Amino acid sequence: MTVLISNIRRQAAAAVLGAALSALALGVQAQTTVRIGMITDKVGPAKPYAEPVALGAAFAVKQINAQGGLLGRPIELLTEDDQGRPDVSATAARKLVDQGVAFILSVSLTPATQQAQSVSLETKTPHMTPSNSGDTLTTQIDNPNFWQTGPLGSTQIATLLAYARAKNFKRVALITDNSDLGQLINRFFKAGLEKAGIQVVAEEVVPRGANTAEPQMQKIRAATPEALFMAGVLTPENVLILRAYRQLGLKTPVLGNYNLSVPQYTAVAKGLLDGVVFVDAFDPAKPETARFIEAYRKDAGAEPYNLMGYGYDGVMMVADAIRRAGSTDKEKVRAAMQASTGYVGVMGGTGATYQFREGKRTGFDPNGMVVRVYEGDRQGRVVHVGLK
Amino acid sequence: MRDFLELLVSATASGCIYGLLALAYLLMTRPTGIINFAVGEWGMVGAFTGFVLLSAWEIPYFLGLPLVGAVMLLVGWGTERLTVRPLVERGAPVLAPILSLLGMLVVFRELVSVGFGPDPRPVPGAFGFGRLELGLLAGSYQSFFIIACALAVFAGTWLFFERTLTGRSFEAVAIDRRAAAIMGINLARVTALAFAAGAVVAGLAGLLVSANVSAHYMMGLPLAIQGFTALVIGGVGRVEGALLGGLILAFTEQFIVRYAPIPAGLAMGVPLVLLILFLLVRPTGLLTAREARA
Repeated sequence: MTVLISNIRRQAAAAVLGAALSALALGVQAQTTVRIGMITDKVGPAKPYAEPVALGAAFAVKQINAQGGLLGRPIELLTEDDQGRPDVSATAARKLVDQGVAFILSVSLTPATQQAQSVSLETKTPHMTPSNSGDTLTTQIDNPNFWQTGPLGSTQIATLLAYARAKNFKRVALITDNSDLGQLINRFFKAGLEKAGIQVVAEEVVPRGANTAEPQMQKIRAATPEALFMAGVLTPENVLILRAYRQLGLKTPVLGNYNLSVPQYTAVAKGLLDGVVFVDAFDPAKPETARFIEAYRKDAGAEPYNLMGYGYDGVMMVADAIRRAGSTDKEKVRAAMQASTGYVGVMGGTGATYQFREGKRTGFDPNGMVVRVYEGDRQGRVVHVGLK
Repeated sequence: MRDFLELLVSATASGCIYGLLALAYLLMTRPTGIINFAVGEWGMVGAFTGFVLLSAWEIPYFLGLPLVGAVMLLVGWGTERLTVRPLVERGAPVLAPILSLLGMLVVFRELVSVGFGPDPRPVPGAFGFGRLELGLLAGSYQSFFIIACALAVFAGTWLFFERTLTGRSFEAVAIDRRAAAIMGINLARVTALAFAAGAVVAGLAGLLVSANVSAHYMMGLPLAIQGFTALVIGGVGRVEGALLGGLILAFTEQFIVRYAPIPAGLAMGVPLVLLILFLLVRPTGLLTAREARA
């Protein structure tokens, strides 16, 4: 019995010593690296978008570390998976804060990012989404620690509307899917069109999981619009729309939101894209973008596309803010990020810069988006820039 | 009139997909009493198998089609062998294999998600995507191909159950498992065949529909819901009920979207309203099993 108690005491002492050493090691590691947290979606509905954004972010970290790191220390990118779930996203943010991150990047769904903000607000941890486009992310919660550098849905819409005004469309149709973001974009499209005096003659929804869009496209055909705006963000449903468009012999110009800029369309919508215009934040001809494409291709052996650029720009802007702050002190980093101005990234047309004007926390240049056209199955030239 | 006739073809094709999924459920539920909600994920596996064989490896379509069937046969047989039979042999309640199959649903989805990534993948149509006009009817080549495939599968299944000894043994097991076992019918073999056949049919549905929507890792759940709704409408007792349920669901869905003066968002709720209505008013479905008729 005495031997047993002695053994138990020895094991307990070893456990306490081990825990203390681990804590010490973590503390030492935290001091030798700059920790940046990233909340992504590896299994849920945001995965198709979150994964490439995360790849871009990881590439930026790799590049920075290859050039000597940040404040003389390598960046350690800690990744958490929120499965696209808001409740999990908040938990993930909490975990990252507990691990001593200097900044959190959210690249998952908009509602998940929104929920994670509750943690960054409470803990005053600098927090950014480089890719979400929901317009209300910086306004629904008054969180001075949160920024959004992805192009707002309203900016994308305004750019496409500027193109539509230039084309003098008077009667248009809208079609979207039943995702949260698709519905939000559709509402913004409709409001913008009506404000511009453009009549919406048909408005249809293709639900997630549908296997045809013919009934909806028949109604649109019957309404004889001068153009068709695609506001949905679900690739399979957009493919159904394009397929029905061709099947039913429609010739109306198609104007797509930024979702149609995802290169996967050239594979899954082959033969359906020629002449479709889409709004994008990526101009491969821009020098910074061309350099990014070249570097990424060399490193990863694969061609990057716009979503990688969002993640890349996000990390680069965070690194820039930390450099200017001179430390990872949260308040200093917050102030430095808010003071960001004139930052030229990979995303945005030529001349576009990131900045947070007049105390706002949305940083993408309102004139930074472009409209491109598919030429055959290839993403072609820029046909319109900005809001003019 | 043009719209109506085009929609006739489109709704029939969609109804055939729903019917095939309902048939997949039925093939397993009838002899075993087990509802396999992984049917939708089997459809997804069929779609991705089609992507690999037909898009990535560029095997000719009509050589690849039976290969997809062969793969799905193994998937179905393997699922039954690994997740159902051990529970049945241990005398577990019926709920146990259902829950186990729900777990398999997640396993299949995650395996595909990890293996193929989140992006949708292209799957070719049997004859491309041109428009075919047959008299007054018009639709895509793929729509007509789906209808032809589905009719062949349903005809074959009906003949199997009505005209073959193995098919009759399925019916016997469905009517009374104990009596069938006493009569010498190998219950394990019937169960294995049921799952294998269900997987082949579900995989075929996934392959056929993925030519239109692409193969993507989230496609399984909507397929499962659509197939289950068709099964509830048509009835779980008869093969032809599965097709009838699928057609009623698709026609109601598409014709309401096209012609009903209600907002597009509300039209999307029609399948679920139908499901609830049938569960409340006629839970056995439109067509009942022959032994249930007086």
